[in-house]
Amino acid sequence: MVAPIQHTHQISNLRRGQTGQVSHFTDERIACKLMAMGLLPGSKVQLMRRAPFGGGCYIKADNIVIALRQREAASIILR
Amino acid sequence: MIDVQQEKDTLNIALIGNPNCGKTSLFNILTGLQQKVGNFPGVTVDKKSGTLNLPHGKKANLIDFPGTYSFYPTSKEERIVVQTFANPNDPNYPDAVVYVADVVKLEKHLLLFTQLRDLGLPTILALNMADVAEQEGIEVDTERLSKKLGTKVLCVSGRTGAGLDELKEAMAALDTTGGQPVDSTYYRPSQEEGRLVSELQKKFPEASPYQRILLGHHHSWLPFLSDEQRGEIASVVERTTFQDLQLQVRETMQRYDQFTPLVQQSIIRKSDKPTSWSDRIDALVTHRILGPIIFFVLMLLVFQSIFTLATYPMDLIDFFFGYLVETVRTTLPAGWFADLLADGLLAGLGGILVFVPQIAILFLLISILEEVGYMARAAFMFDRLMQAFGLNGRSIVALISGGACAIPAVMSARTIGNWKERLITIMVTPFISCSARIPVYTVLIAFAVPSTTVWGIFNMQGLAFMGLYLLGIVAALGSAYIFKLILRTNDTSFLMLELPEYRMPVVRNVLLTVWEKVKTFSVEAGRVILVISLLLWVLSSYGPVKDMERAKLEAQTAIQESNLDESTAADLMAAEKLEASFAGHIGRFIEPAIEPLGFDWKIGIALITSFAAREVFVGTMATIYSIGSADDEFSIKKRMAEEVNPATGEKVYNRATSWSLLLFYVFAMQCMSTLAVVRRETYSWKWPTIQFFMMTGLAYLSSLAVYQWLS
Repeated sequence: MVAPIQHTHQISNLRRGQTGQVSHFTDERIACKLMAMGLLPGSKVQLMRRAPFGGGCYIKADNIVIALRQREAASIILR
Repeated sequence: MIDVQQEKDTLNIALIGNPNCGKTSLFNILTGLQQKVGNFPGVTVDKKSGTLNLPHGKKANLIDFPGTYSFYPTSKEERIVVQTFANPNDPNYPDAVVYVADVVKLEKHLLLFTQLRDLGLPTILALNMADVAEQEGIEVDTERLSKKLGTKVLCVSGRTGAGLDELKEAMAALDTTGGQPVDSTYYRPSQEEGRLVSELQKKFPEASPYQRILLGHHHSWLPFLSDEQRGEIASVVERTTFQDLQLQVRETMQRYDQFTPLVQQSIIRKSDKPTSWSDRIDALVTHRILGPIIFFVLMLLVFQSIFTLATYPMDLIDFFFGYLVETVRTTLPAGWFADLLADGLLAGLGGILVFVPQIAILFLLISILEEVGYMARAAFMFDRLMQAFGLNGRSIVALISGGACAIPAVMSARTIGNWKERLITIMVTPFISCSARIPVYTVLIAFAVPSTTVWGIFNMQGLAFMGLYLLGIVAALGSAYIFKLILRTNDTSFLMLELPEYRMPVVRNVLLTVWEKVKTFSVEAGRVILVISLLLWVLSSYGPVKDMERAKLEAQTAIQESNLDESTAADLMAAEKLEASFAGHIGRFIEPAIEPLGFDWKIGIALITSFAAREVFVGTMATIYSIGSADDEFSIKKRMAEEVNPATGEKVYNRATSWSLLLFYVFAMQCMSTLAVVRRETYSWKWPTIQFFMMTGLAYLSSLAVYQWLS
């Protein structure tokens, strides 16, 4: 669920190919959208690739692939 | 609900589902060419609808709603869905819903379905991509799912057309008489929500409990509420300590918890093979270095196709209209009617249709790339870069295709979800030098830059040419940045974009997109273009009677005195008439305004007539200097080089004037067709007007600066 930042284990800190499990989100608005897309607390995620030009990244959760901006990725906290 | 006794032969059915669920494919296969494009009231979102015949003599009017994840919208498109479904009196409020979900991602696609169920509308759940599911070894127990969800469940394929007959049968069998709001089975409202629902009972007795909760969440922007209602809801929201975002998260979690087990019980995955080839393509196509290179190569191909392939049909259209004009001229007696038909109407129609090949080719290629799933990747790759200028990753496609023609480029911005980013893309794309500027550049560059070679290999004129293109790009990005700072929007910009799996494109979808774009342009933008081109024709072929008579007389005397041959005489006559026409008068009228830029009134005439399209500049120059209507750039250049200012005795097309004119054509909004398309894409005259003054204003200032500096 949504809670203030406790750890700094964010999805944006993963290396390519690494996986993790979503703990919670730090931005409610982003959380609403990501959850509606199917990324929920408890979902297993894998960082697939980082964007060129210092942009965001895209992640895979179950069978969906979501492209994220840096700020969006940083709001996803992993267990 | 509409309880007026009306003929229930035609059902209004909403087609709704998550983005990438294959909804549009299904819509296309159901309605085919029977679809109409309009817009939702008051917003710039396209509404696609179409009729289809159902069994037992029934008919359905199908509305294709924008792809949406939930009733908590993040874009204009998604808001449409909420504002329609939260308001039973909305003209688009349907009798029933066909909810489309991708079988392969069913666990992710049912959130909106459960929300819709809570509104009490009759629903059919269409599980799309049945063909893919089969390949991937997924089997659905539709009966079990149907029982659990309490709705009709069907397997269909918008790709192969499988299951469509059953879907139509189910639509015809829909019972739309009941439709009583039900208590949610997926969601237990919190205390705050419960209080809100009962407090809003009095004011909104018709709304279902869930609709009242939606009112609580969205009252600040829902357009159908009166200010009074808005205020009342706001005070209830405050009294009940209704926490917007927290409750959204809570509701979403609960719904997932309810339906995920239901789905898992009804789906059998025979093999657990992840589709890895989509990942493998991505490893190459979205590679940090290779990715952008592949993108630019692809865009180069698109660009080249518009440029080269389109010339053949364009020449054919030109030839065809030339032939028609010729026929009119030879069959009809000379006079105003033949002039109107030939130079006004036919020339105007030809001017519209000549863009069709470029539009068709661009959308053929773009919609293939979109269908395959590539465009989402391109948007992802260029997001960061384009964000810096207030644009979207997808804007880069519009900007690049703008190099061929701004019209299809502006139309391609349609795929940008965020309204602000889409608007900025539309506003700045015409700065990119399009192919119509090339003839103007080639004629004028000869006067501006000597054809010398520098550093051994570079031709000065070629360098200047490239400089003009770069100026256009700088202007586009620079003005985009300014728009980014100025424009206010309620929508936060997000990327959070789902990247669909790579798929073979469906030919039907591609062709329907091309057809729709061509039709929209020809009909909607075409009307405006036709009116303006008729107006321009009147301006350049008529004038105050006295002046026109005198011009004719003067030309005749000149012709007799110097004993000119027939074609030279005709050219002279045309030149004299143009000078005496309204366009000529306007040219003289604006001369004081354009003099500081180094332009005389003859150039003024060309500025006015080339508002139709930039390349008309060359033709007008030919007429003004009476060298015939032939688009012979060499003889035009030669004649322009001889032109001398009668007052000063200096050459008109000196370096300063030529650079000034060049800059003017780089920046100025000299294209009525683009303006017409911008009006169509923004549904208002406001933005094309701003665009016109912005571009032409910048053109004026930079021409002024460069002329004053060089002269």
